[in-house]
Amino acid sequence: MGEEKDILSTLLLELRRGSLTISVLSQMKEPKYGYALVQSLEEKGVAIDPNTLYPLLRRLENQGLLESRWETGGAKPRKYYQRTAYGTGIYEQLKAYWENLSAGMERLLREEEA
Amino acid sequence: MTPNEKDYMDRYIYQVIRRLPKAQRDEVRMELEELISDMYADKGSMEKVLTQLGDPAEFSKQYQNNRQYLIGPEYFETYLWFVKVVLICAAVPILVISLVNAISEMPMVTSQNAAPVVIRAIVDGLTAGITNALLSCISSFGAVTLTFAIMERKKNQFEMKKAETWSVEKLEEDKKTDASRWTPKFLEPVPDKKAIISRGDSMAGIVFIVIFSVLLVFAPHFFAAIFTEGETVTAVPVFHLEKWGMILPIFVLSLLIGLVDEILRLVVGCYCKLVMISNIVCGAIQIVLSAVVLKVLPIWNPDFVVELQLALGDQAESAAKFLTYWNADMVSNGLLSFIIAITLFEIGMTIYKTLRYGVCIKKP
Repeated sequence: MGEEKDILSTLLLELRRGSLTISVLSQMKEPKYGYALVQSLEEKGVAIDPNTLYPLLRRLENQGLLESRWETGGAKPRKYYQRTAYGTGIYEQLKAYWENLSAGMERLLREEEA
Repeated sequence: MTPNEKDYMDRYIYQVIRRLPKAQRDEVRMELEELISDMYADKGSMEKVLTQLGDPAEFSKQYQNNRQYLIGPEYFETYLWFVKVVLICAAVPILVISLVNAISEMPMVTSQNAAPVVIRAIVDGLTAGITNALLSCISSFGAVTLTFAIMERKKNQFEMKKAETWSVEKLEEDKKTDASRWTPKFLEPVPDKKAIISRGDSMAGIVFIVIFSVLLVFAPHFFAAIFTEGETVTAVPVFHLEKWGMILPIFVLSLLIGLVDEILRLVVGCYCKLVMISNIVCGAIQIVLSAVVLKVLPIWNPDFVVELQLALGDQAESAAKFLTYWNADMVSNGLLSFIIAITLFEIGMTIYKTLRYGVCIKKP
């Protein structure tokens, strides 16, 4: 039983990993700070753990898809992330690929039901 | 936020960042302070916030996506095999030597004290043997691991370089997709059966190198002319043991270079340019070091002849003929030519096999 649970959680993790990148990129047209992003994603039905999101933001920044700056004007320093032009280009391609993939998946899964 | 809650936040952040590379720590600390205080404002309880964030070790892992190993899966099996062989070669001879040592130094056995004296000798031998075996196992384990770890790092650099040259070609030829895309042309030919280096081929070399090193380190006095005269055993050492501290490091270094060459051969697995170059370089260094040990350093026991004559006593006359032939210079020259001949033969074999069957050099 425990093994089945492990396999399932590994598979779910693999399934989520790529989709989270697209979800995050989709929200980054305007600058946002980390926790606001967690909340807005959750409101839209895509929950993400903060301990997954923060490292992901850093990785995307290292890859040049996002850029960040610290805002020190407010009550406390906040790090704002925003998509770069390069990131937008990548995001558009990912989006097209995703739409294609999800249409294909839809057909595959319906086939089983019929 | 109460001071107590602030303290918990600091503890949590510390546990995350202490596992990260130094360069990232300050930035991640600020990020986490922002995150946790935002979450705290939202949830109202530090306990809830930290529970939701979960184990700081797991959190930290999410930040680390670099490689976190010394020896990767590609080399791991060869590495394990190598460690096993080397450990056995390092431990067994030492245990045997220590037992032999203890028994040879045993006081006279009489019928009354036989049992306690023998047991004492065996216990002493085992104690010394286990200590020395442990020492030599740890150092040989370290040497093998270090070599493999360096090869692992070098392999990564090598592959990165390869990727770079591809991208350069890509720019020059202005065929962006074609040059970088993998095509069946990239497939290297399957190595000729005669080009494959098997573990069996390297086994003899490794066993010899390790056992010889261990003997040189722990029992240089075993290289000796031994005489039995009635009850007493006399050993006349061949090497200059008083100067051993100076000679030994160079001797062992030369053997270790041989070991590195063997590791490289096994890791690469077939004759190619890299194995050939390594063999030539290591062989050349070994010849130079052997020349230093044999011709420059005072390796031979300068009193060998005198001690031998003393030990032989009245038999000296019959051995006198042999003793007049003992000439340290001649022995050095003979050994050196032998070592050079063996090394050149090995290099020659490697060059021949590489040029004849080697995979990386032969153009498809």
